[in-house]
Amino acid sequence: MITVTINRKKINLEKPVTILKAAGMAGIEIPTLCHYEMLEAYGGCRLCLVEIEKMPRLQTSCTQYVTDGMVVWTETERVVEARKAMLEFLLINHALDCPYCDKAGECELQDVVAKYGPTTGRFAEGKRRHPESFDDPIIVRNMERCISCTRCVRMCSKVQGACAISMVNRSSKTFVEPFSGGRYDCEYCGNCLTVCPVGAIMSRMHRHAYRPWLIEKEIDTVCSFCGVGCSMVLQARGNSIVRAVPGESAGSNKGLLCNRGRFGYDYVGSSGRLDSPMIKRDGKFQRASWSEAFIYIADRLKKIKDENGGGSIAGIASGRCTNEDGYVFQKFMRAVLGSNNIDSVASFGYAQAQRFFEGIFGQGVTANPMRGISNSDGVFVVGDDPTAVNPVLGLQIRAASHKGVPVVAAGYMPGLRMFATSRLIPRPFTETALLSALVTELRNVKGISGKGPFERVIKDIPSVSLHEAEDACGIPSEDIRSAVDALSHMTNPSIVIGRDILQKPEGQTNLLLLAALISLLNSRIYLLSELPNEQGLVDMGCLPDMLPGGRHLAVESFRRRYEEFFGVDIPSSPGMGIMEMIEAAHAKKIKALYVMGEDLVYNMPDSAYVKAALSKLDFLVVHDIFMTETAGLADVVIPSLSWAEKEGSYTNLERKMQLVRKAVEGKGMEDWRAVAEIGKLLGFDMDYKSSGDIMAEIAKVSPLHKDITYEDMAGGECLWPYKGEPLRHGMSLEGIEMPDKDSLLKRPEKDRIYIGIDKPLFHFENLSRNSAALSSIAPEPYVNIGKALADKLSLAGGDLADITTGTGSLKLSVQVDPDVPESSIRVPDNFGDKGAYTIMSWKINSAIKAPVADATGVAIEKIKRAAEEAAV
Amino acid sequence: MLSENAVKEIGLIRNKYHDVQSSLLPALYVVQREHGWLSPEALKEVGEILNVPKAEVKGVSTFYSMFRHKPMGRHLIQLCTNVACMIMDAERLVDILKSRYGLEPNGTTDDGRFSLIIMECIGACGTAPAMLVDTDFHDNLTEKYIEEILAKYK
Amino acid sequence: MGGGEGEGGRAVNKTVMGKVLLKNIENPNSADIAGYIKTGGYKALSKALELKPSDIIDEVKRSGLRGRGGAGFPTGMKWAFAAADSKKPKFILCNADEGEPGTFKDRPILEKNPHLLIEGMIISGYALQAEYGYIYLRGEYPKAKDILEDAIKQAHDKGYLGEDVHGKGIRFHLHVHQGAGAYICGEETALIESLEGKRGQPRIKPPFPVNEGFLSKPTIINNVETLANIPYIIEIGADAYAEIGSPDCPGPKLYSVSGHVKRPGVYELPMGTTLREIIYNHCGGILGDKKLKAVIPGGISTPILPADAIDCPMDFVNMPKRGSMLGSGAVMVFDETVDLVKVCYRAIKFFEHESCGKCTPCREGVGWMRAILERISNGSGRAGDIDLLIEVSNNITGKTFCPLGDGAAMVVQNFAKHFRSEFEEKIH
Ligand SMILES: Cc1cc2nc3c(=O)[nH]c(=O)nc-3n(C[C@H](O)[C@H](O)[C@H](O)COP(=O)(O)O)c2cc1C
Ligand code: SF4
Ligand code: FES
Repeated sequence: MITVTINRKKINLEKPVTILKAAGMAGIEIPTLCHYEMLEAYGGCRLCLVEIEKMPRLQTSCTQYVTDGMVVWTETERVVEARKAMLEFLLINHALDCPYCDKAGECELQDVVAKYGPTTGRFAEGKRRHPESFDDPIIVRNMERCISCTRCVRMCSKVQGACAISMVNRSSKTFVEPFSGGRYDCEYCGNCLTVCPVGAIMSRMHRHAYRPWLIEKEIDTVCSFCGVGCSMVLQARGNSIVRAVPGESAGSNKGLLCNRGRFGYDYVGSSGRLDSPMIKRDGKFQRASWSEAFIYIADRLKKIKDENGGGSIAGIASGRCTNEDGYVFQKFMRAVLGSNNIDSVASFGYAQAQRFFEGIFGQGVTANPMRGISNSDGVFVVGDDPTAVNPVLGLQIRAASHKGVPVVAAGYMPGLRMFATSRLIPRPFTETALLSALVTELRNVKGISGKGPFERVIKDIPSVSLHEAEDACGIPSEDIRSAVDALSHMTNPSIVIGRDILQKPEGQTNLLLLAALISLLNSRIYLLSELPNEQGLVDMGCLPDMLPGGRHLAVESFRRRYEEFFGVDIPSSPGMGIMEMIEAAHAKKIKALYVMGEDLVYNMPDSAYVKAALSKLDFLVVHDIFMTETAGLADVVIPSLSWAEKEGSYTNLERKMQLVRKAVEGKGMEDWRAVAEIGKLLGFDMDYKSSGDIMAEIAKVSPLHKDITYEDMAGGECLWPYKGEPLRHGMSLEGIEMPDKDSLLKRPEKDRIYIGIDKPLFHFENLSRNSAALSSIAPEPYVNIGKALADKLSLAGGDLADITTGTGSLKLSVQVDPDVPESSIRVPDNFGDKGAYTIMSWKINSAIKAPVADATGVAIEKIKRAAEEAAV
Repeated sequence: MLSENAVKEIGLIRNKYHDVQSSLLPALYVVQREHGWLSPEALKEVGEILNVPKAEVKGVSTFYSMFRHKPMGRHLIQLCTNVACMIMDAERLVDILKSRYGLEPNGTTDDGRFSLIIMECIGACGTAPAMLVDTDFHDNLTEKYIEEILAKYK
Repeated sequence: MGGGEGEGGRAVNKTVMGKVLLKNIENPNSADIAGYIKTGGYKALSKALELKPSDIIDEVKRSGLRGRGGAGFPTGMKWAFAAADSKKPKFILCNADEGEPGTFKDRPILEKNPHLLIEGMIISGYALQAEYGYIYLRGEYPKAKDILEDAIKQAHDKGYLGEDVHGKGIRFHLHVHQGAGAYICGEETALIESLEGKRGQPRIKPPFPVNEGFLSKPTIINNVETLANIPYIIEIGADAYAEIGSPDCPGPKLYSVSGHVKRPGVYELPMGTTLREIIYNHCGGILGDKKLKAVIPGGISTPILPADAIDCPMDFVNMPKRGSMLGSGAVMVFDETVDLVKVCYRAIKFFEHESCGKCTPCREGVGWMRAILERISNGSGRAGDIDLLIEVSNNITGKTFCPLGDGAAMVVQNFAKHFRSEFEEKIH
């Protein structure tokens, strides 16, 4: 026990902490500028100086640890004078442009100067000059204001791990710069904006449009750009969002955001937003009133149902919609229209992976707090690049790496390049060989008892030697060996899985191999989730065979419960999955499709095929906030609200339920409200006044969500298994097919080039192109090509290449990345008619009903650029 | 582009240290010796070889005053004007370089023959004033002597 | 060697058995291992390798050797701290940054007697069970780099360095690491940062380098001269060594003398030799037989002393009593003609240039002092400037991250204390 006295207050401590921290615990505030809770101590600004008895020098409280019996004074005359002196020094080279500076009002320097002085300056010489830099589309750098606290640099390198900025020069010539000196080549997380205490690093997005005291509303909500669900505060003035800042406490992000969350919100105020329902008549959209639109939809659906049965209607929900939207939608589909044809893009892999692992390890196995990653003693990452798909989760992996924890990255993951201790990048479609070699080796090292049913399965997996794996996947066997060494020393690792590993012809086998690894390594599972409420879709029963709360439709007692509650029968056989729906539409097997907020054309593979399928429908309803390609094909378009304009809840990839709150008014309608209105017209009791009413119903009917309330969520601790009842059932090894050795060792065809989906950090589906900010960071589609291939085709960065597949063709600008696996190229799926989905053909995997990439080849040709052509 | 030799030499340097980043300063020296200065491209390349982020490489290289971030003349005069040299009239030598060679501190002669950098103490105080030309020490400098010396550097 | 009495305490013992640190350097091939061995080199190493590592540390402790880099920390004690830390590997770093203006005492060892340093480092490596050593050499000594590297290679070839030192089954590898022009990198934690390939800014202490130094491992940092004393201590034994020079800080000492003396240079004299003796006996007095005005006794960051202070023995105990410090033993001598305001201005310009930029008072305050001094020096000083200057210096003192900024403030304070009238004369 340590007792320290600060300003006569006695403080008892279990273990030594800094004086600053001890004082904070006792409610004594010590001014600081370079200190930032999340960052390691720096001790540079010298503002936190305090007097310690028996020590002749003043000490910085941010670095000095307390010792037993220490007596500290934080506001003596000597201390106050010293602080004033430090501030006078800081102001020497600090532009005194507070009236003009956007930081005024929330500037930490301004605040401490107001408290400690000086009121006049004695420094008579010229200040350092350093013109404000506008070289970047997003970040303005004003180094005349910089006080060299290095918070930004420490944030960028130690927490974000982007290492994009550094202090340059020394002495009073020191300032902060990105490498280029102008434009940032960074991840645009904007976390440097959060930490800069002064107005030296600011966002252009609210330049001269923002004064902290003019903020009228601050809304605590959740980001809607991915499944991490960072808590954020939307600051609004009038009816516009002026800024998004990270939430400090509730979310797992703990004060961090990524580029999408911080800067992407501007699509909400975009002029392209839909503001009225539209009905297509004679091939042209006409504005309609809400009731007109609802009646039209109800009539058409009723007719189709009456004529062809509920099974001829299908519904697709969106992972951007709330739990409440999802719940009402599935109820509408099942109870009102009598159809189990309900699904979403969560079935592109997330839902299947979760179901598979839950079958073996029990419901809720993927519900793990994210901070567990940085606290584990090893991380295995496979599938997608977490730092792009779920950036703030990715930071957990980087944090683990900073602690010296081994990180094994299997796959193309540029965001972990500097952080992974083993990087295993297999040739396209040979992940299976790599994974089976890992299983084989770990099975030998760890040994398995072979007793449990799954252990017997693991035992039966054909052995693949390192050399066989090397032959197939092209990774040197010693690299695989060293990864095995790292993995075998882990005792409580985390495994992070992206859906790309499933979207392969061998996807089902890969799942099995991953389950084997999870079991062998005894690891926690994290499934990357691209959408903010992908998990919510699953939990709310937006699946063809599942009811809300993760209850199987096929189980009579479960279905009965819902039937009783809804007061109608629910068809007992599972409906169609999303891919099947598209095929069925193509085959005219379904007549009507109700799409709640998904741009199917560009967010599903093979855009032309999807488009053709949708065009064959008798009736298509689309909810959206923009006139997407899909909405353009609809018979009726319902303008919905963005996440910032409505209330509700999201469930993130940790399965934490969090509140989404309204910051501004939108011109559309909540999806659930529109659906309920139509439901009512079809004679069904769907009289919800608010999203709270819906949650109350969910809390009543879904055993998993029993008694859950918005208050539970508001605290940020609404964690699995909530207050409800997860399913407890025996291990189900149903559907596991043991692969034969040949299928494990498939290899790509010689000389063939394959296409893969690139996940850029700066975009989110196709929605983010409506954000001017994100588009300014990453305006262009591109193709990522490996060094060897680029050389072979004599392509260099910036060249234009023609990419042709059996499905289509694109002209894209080339980026060369040595990490791209040989004989493959990568194209992002975020650029609409220039996106990967327009040229990729897929198949439905019969076991998991998910789309799997068709391993057909690509032809690439260099195009002469316009300038070159002109020169010729 | 770094020469093959430079890349090889940097590779050898890495063996001297337990961690890669320790070889950053020596690697920068290799490049500076080859190019005379550290261009942004060179900084980037060194970063790539050593797996050190390029912004960090820049931050580090600009901290040290002996790394040059713009092209230099063929010969680099590093003249000390710190106290011991100053009281032995080093400043007059600065004037001479200016008047007779057109050489300003931080500047380069028009013919690209010399660049001049004013140094803090170079450890030749006992034989002040002193300078380094490239890697050669010259001390007990006088007006006349400095001309004789510089005549040897073409 | 002349007589003289310490200002306080026991008489300084003037006997040094010939030259120890500068032995052999007149020999044109002094850097060659053959010559070094011929004059008894590497004998101390053989002797040391027969001792237990802990015995060597004890011996160094008992010798009373204090660090020659400036701070005068007892070397044996430092070694004992590092030896007590069980983390592995351990490192020995030689501080050859010699950046303190006025200091050039390590240079003759580095350029002319490198094997003495190498031998000292191997012995310390053995004593500390450290297998790796680095010589952090300032970038401004390009020749020394080649010389040291050649010497290291020779020592390697002779089996004094490498995987099996002297056939004793111990390992010691030594490398030269070149700094690149940053005075602050002489500060031990900044030196470590720099060696790690980072910006050379000092680290927060604790943890101290003896526990978490280079790559967070126990690390000893010693000055060139300190390490060069080690073979001699082993050779003659702690007791005999402790008899040399000042009783509380014994041993031979290198004084580098510059400025207005007839024979500037590096002098190896017993610790505690008075300034008077150094200036008048060894350096032949003031150039042109002018009057002495002032002396900076230990490198530019040590307080300047007026001429009447020159009877003070130059050691770690007596100099502080006289209001200055031994520092690196770099004596800068100023005759009556010197414009001390200009000297002060130039000194502060140096500190401004060398401030690492980490902490506020040093980064900003020193530049402010320079600005005030600049205008006083060029005749455009204003009324109140001297007081403002002193106030700014007081606002720096005691609040900086490391001693560099404090040193700059101390320079100003002592110039103003002893020579205020010279400043006043410049303000009209
Ligand atoms: C600003 C500053 C510069 C320093 N420069 C040097 C130097 O150039 N050489 C040196 O040996 N010690 C220098 N030191 C002292 C070192 O920090 C350290 O005390 C010394 O290397 C320890 O070795 P020693 O115990 O053998 O003296 C400097 C200290 C400071 C604060
Ligand atoms: S830009 Fe801001 S955060 Fe970065 S060092 Fe300067 S004041 Fe600190
Ligand atoms: S907060 Fe302690 S020195 Fe800056």
